[in-house]
Amino acid sequence: MNEQLARDLECAIATDPRTHELGIHLEVRGDHLVVCGEVATEKRRAMVLDVIREHDTGLDIADHIVLSAEPGPGGPGHERIVPPTSS
Amino acid sequence: MPEPIRVAAVGDVHLADDLRGRYAPLLDGISAEADALLVAGDLTQHGTLDEAKAFADEFGAADVPVLTVLGNHDYHSGKERDIAQLLEERGMTVLEGTSTTIETKAGRLGVAGIKGFCLGFSGRCAADFGEPEMKAFTGHGIETADVLRRALDDLAGEEPDVTVALSHFAPVDGTLLGEPKEIWPFLGNYRLGEAIDESGVDLAVHGHAHAGREKGLTPAGVPVRNVAQPVIQAAFRVYDVVPRRSA
Repeated sequence: MNEQLARDLECAIATDPRTHELGIHLEVRGDHLVVCGEVATEKRRAMVLDVIREHDTGLDIADHIVLSAEPGPGGPGHERIVPPTSS
Repeated sequence: MPEPIRVAAVGDVHLADDLRGRYAPLLDGISAEADALLVAGDLTQHGTLDEAKAFADEFGAADVPVLTVLGNHDYHSGKERDIAQLLEERGMTVLEGTSTTIETKAGRLGVAGIKGFCLGFSGRCAADFGEPEMKAFTGHGIETADVLRRALDDLAGEEPDVTVALSHFAPVDGTLLGEPKEIWPFLGNYRLGEAIDESGVDLAVHGHAHAGREKGLTPAGVPVRNVAQPVIQAAFRVYDVVPRRSA
């Protein structure tokens, strides 16, 4: 029952036109619904949580969503790639 | 010391209005670091034209050629052709079973690109067997690799000094470590890797696997890099690829 609820909500988050987030994972732990995964912005985190709340699960939402690291200033990482000698 | 061709790459930037301003300041002046910028699909979040405009505004700040493939998110709203047209009108190159070459100070860079599709990996993949729906799914995955192979064959005729294969879906599973194994068949396609191994590719770049890892190899030893933004956690990574003639 709890497993099915979590999977249904994951499906809703993936398909809802406001979110389309494919990397959100949910687990029911006691009275809590634990929400994990990564999104790009605070706005997208809020939208995921809104979609979950609309389903009125009766569980306390534990928001463990991580925001993607925002690319900042500074030189990019360079990697030297040397072709194989055998080809 | 041979001069490398400098290939900048990122994928899965999922642009929408809430990300405006995140990339343009970091791409302005990128020519000091790179000769071209490759974007490995999922340019937009929902595949809308407004989001494609946001992508074009942000990545149009790059002062080097911008080459992209589309990703599954870019297809979601059925606007993929309009998105490609908009990006082409904004001076970017959208590759889908096609290739292009760019002249750089260090030589000619050739890039063949395709979105790719699901299939899975050798011994653990979908089979072209059974119901029509299964054959259609599998057949599309196989076809997309055949199209990439033809694009790479065409590119070989241009005799590039460095050849890069650009896709959204992963050509190997080594860069998927960190993703649940159950979904690997939906993240990549080993036949893309076979096409790469048959075609003298120096570097393969892909996205799609946000929880994967950056570095992998094809069975024949071609370097593969997963440049999904959540993986590289930067605006772009630069690969300094040494031309074969000087290696």
